[in-house]
Amino acid sequence: MIPQEYFLALGAILFAIGAFGALTRKNAIVVLMCIEIMLNAANINFVTFAVFSGGAAGQVFALFSIAIAAAEVAIGLAILLNLQKLQDTIELQDLNLLRW
Amino acid sequence: MTFTEYTWLIPLIPIIGLLLAAAFGKKTPEGGGYFVVGAVAVACFVSLMVAYEFFTGDGSPVYDTTIWIDLGTINGTQYQFEMGYYVDYLTALLLIVVSILCTLIVIYSLGYMHEEGERKRRYYVEIALFITGMLGMVVASNYLTAFVFWEIMGLCSYLLIGFWYYKPSAAKAAKKAFLTTRIGDISFMLGIIALFGAFGTLNYHELFNPEFIESFEVNYGLLLFAMLCFFGAAVGKSAQFPLHDWLPDAMEGPTTVSALIHAATMVKAGVYLVARSFPLMVDTPEVMIVIAVVGGFTAFFAATQALNNFNIKRVLAYSTISQLGFMFLALGCGGYIIATAGTDEHLLEVGNAGYMAGVFHLMNHAFFKALLFLSAGAVIHAVHTEDMRKMGGLSKKLKITSLVMLIGALAIAGIPPFSGFWSKDLILESTIAAAEVNSWFWILYIAATVTAFMTAFYMFRLWFMTFKGEESEAAHHAHEAPAVMWAPLVVLAIAACITGLFLLGPDGGLPAVIYTVSPEGNAIPGETLGLGWIEKLFTAWPTYVSLAMATFGIGIAYLAYYKKTLSLDFFAKGSNRKVYDVLQRRYYFPEFYDFVGEKGMYGLARLVDFIDRKVVDGVVNAIANVAVGTSGRFRKAQTGFTQTYAAVIVAAVSVILVLLYLFAEVR
Repeated sequence: MIPQEYFLALGAILFAIGAFGALTRKNAIVVLMCIEIMLNAANINFVTFAVFSGGAAGQVFALFSIAIAAAEVAIGLAILLNLQKLQDTIELQDLNLLRW
Repeated sequence: MTFTEYTWLIPLIPIIGLLLAAAFGKKTPEGGGYFVVGAVAVACFVSLMVAYEFFTGDGSPVYDTTIWIDLGTINGTQYQFEMGYYVDYLTALLLIVVSILCTLIVIYSLGYMHEEGERKRRYYVEIALFITGMLGMVVASNYLTAFVFWEIMGLCSYLLIGFWYYKPSAAKAAKKAFLTTRIGDISFMLGIIALFGAFGTLNYHELFNPEFIESFEVNYGLLLFAMLCFFGAAVGKSAQFPLHDWLPDAMEGPTTVSALIHAATMVKAGVYLVARSFPLMVDTPEVMIVIAVVGGFTAFFAATQALNNFNIKRVLAYSTISQLGFMFLALGCGGYIIATAGTDEHLLEVGNAGYMAGVFHLMNHAFFKALLFLSAGAVIHAVHTEDMRKMGGLSKKLKITSLVMLIGALAIAGIPPFSGFWSKDLILESTIAAAEVNSWFWILYIAATVTAFMTAFYMFRLWFMTFKGEESEAAHHAHEAPAVMWAPLVVLAIAACITGLFLLGPDGGLPAVIYTVSPEGNAIPGETLGLGWIEKLFTAWPTYVSLAMATFGIGIAYLAYYKKTLSLDFFAKGSNRKVYDVLQRRYYFPEFYDFVGEKGMYGLARLVDFIDRKVVDGVVNAIANVAVGTSGRFRKAQTGFTQTYAAVIVAAVSVILVLLYLFAEVR
C-alpha cells in the first residue's frame, strides 16, 4: 500500500501550485482555476485521512467540499462575466477600484 | 399660643395676594393691588399677634420644624434638612417692623403707582413676592430655608429695580444689583456648607443652644470661616464696602421699591443675618473686629458721598449705606466686647448693649428711612424730577410732606427725642466701651462721630434745598399727594417720633426685647435700661459730643442752603474741586467695578476661552489629527489588487504556522 506521506505530499504540492498560480497569474479565470486546484488539494487530504484513520466522515466532507466548489465557481464565473461586461477586462492588474 | 402655631403661614399669606393679583389683576382696579394690600395686611396682623404672644410669653424661643429633605446617613453624618419657624426676641421684633412697613409701603404704592397702567399688575406681583422673601427669611427656622428666602429677595430686587426695564440705566442698575449681591449669596452658601461641616445641623434651635455646641469638638478654623462667610453675605446684601455700589444705582426703580429695599427688607436682611448669627459669632473675636471695622468705615465712606450729590434719592441711598454701617459697627463692637469679656459680667452687659444698639438702630432706621423715602417719593410725584437743584420752595405746596420729612431728617440726624438719637447714641456708647477694651476702636469712634456730623449736614442740605429757598418752576405745578400716600407718611412720622422711646418702657421696654448672652452663653432676656439710663445718658460727655456734631451739621446746612450767608463754593472751585469731583464720581467705584469687570473678569473669561478653545479643544483636535495623519499614510497599503491581499493572507498564515510550529506544542 502506498504510504500516507505520499498522498499528503501530493496534496501539499498541489496546494502550493494552486497558491502560486492564484497569486501570480493575471487572468482572473486562471486564478479561479488555481483556487480549484487548492480546493482539490484539500479534498485529497480529507480522503487520505479518512482512509488511513478508518472513518467515513472525511469522505463525506470531501463530497461537501466538491459541491461547494462547484457553487463557488458558478458565482465566480458570474462575477467575471459581469466584470467583462462593465470593465471590458478580466485582467486582475486592471481591477483596483476598491483601493484608497 | 394660638397664633404662634401659625407663624409658618406668615410668608405664605402674601403669596395668596400674589396669585390673586396675577390671576385677576387685569380686570380689577389698580392691577390687583388691593389683593396684595389685603394679603399683606393680614400677614401683618398675624405677625403682630405672634409678636404679642411672644412678648407676653416666657421669653424662651418657640419653634417647630418638619423634615424637608432627608438624604439619609452618609459617612456617619446625617444629611437631614428641616423647615419650620423659629420665634425669639429678634424674630418678633423684625416681624413687627417688617410687616408694618411693608403694609404701609404697599398702601402708599396704590397712590404712587396709580399712573403706571398695565404694568401695575407686574409691580404688585413682584412686590408681594419680595415681602414673602423678607418675612420668610425672618421666621425661618434654619439657615437653609433662610437662604432660600434670601435668594427670593435677590431675584425680586433684580425684577423691581429693573421695573422700568426699557430705560437702559434701570436695566443696568438691576443687573449690577443682582450681580453684586450674588457675590454675597455665594459667600452665604459657603458659610452654610462650612457650618454644616462643623456642626452637622443648620437649625437655629440647635446651633444657638450652648449645650449642643459644647458637646461638639468645634473646629475653630471652620467656624471662623463660616462666620466670615456669613458676614460676607451681609456685606453683599446690606451694601457694605466694598460691595456698596449697587445700592445708589438701585434708585432707578420706583421710589416705593427703594423704600422697601432700603427700609424694611433686603438691606436689613444682611443686618438680620449677622444679628441672628450673633450667638455663634461672639465666639470669634476676629470676625467681630472685621464687622466693626467694615461697618465703621462704610458709615464714614458712604456719608462723604452724600455730601454733594444732587439726586434726592441718591442722597438717601448713601445715608442708608452709612446707617447700615452704624448697625454693623454696633454689632461688631458689642460682639467684640462679649468675645473678649470671658465671665466679666459688667463687660458682658456692655457688650449686650452694643448688640441691642445695632438691632435698635435697625428698627428705628427702618421707620425713619421708610418715612424719608416715601416723602421723597411724594416730592418726586409732585415735581416729576429727582434733581434737587430743580426743586426748592416746595414747603408751601407740600405742607404735610415737608413736615413729615423734617421729622425724618431730625430723627436720622440724631436730635432728641426722635428715634435716631437714642439708637445712635447707644451705638457711639458701645464704640467707646469697645475702645476701652482695645484702644484701636477710638478710630472708629471718631469716624462715627464725624459721620454723625455729616449725616446731619447732608440731610438738612436735602431738606432745605427741596423745601425752602426760592420757589422753582417745578414747584408751581406741584400739589400735595393723595391721602392714600400721605396717610402712611403720617403713621411713619409718628413712629419716627416714638420708637426711640421704647427704650424707656416701664417694665421690659426694648432691652427686654433683645436677648442677651449670659456668661454661660445662654440666650436670655436682657435687663431693662429704665429711666436711670436717661440720667446716665445725659450726664455722659459722648452724648453732648454727638449732639454738638448734629447741631453743627444742621447749622452749616442752614447757613449755606437757607440763609445763603455761608458759601460752600470754596469746595467746588479750582484745585479744591478734585475732592468734590472724587465724591461726585463716587470715589471712582463704578469705574473700578468696570475695570475689574473688563480687565479682571473679561480677562479671566478670555483666559478660560483660550483654555477651552486652544488647550481642551486642541488636545482633542491633536488626537484626531494624529489619527488622520497616520491613517493617511497607512491607507496606501490598500492597493485594491486582489492578489496583494491574497499574498498578505498567505504570508501571514505562513508566518503564524511557522511560529506555532516553533513555539506551540502542536506537533
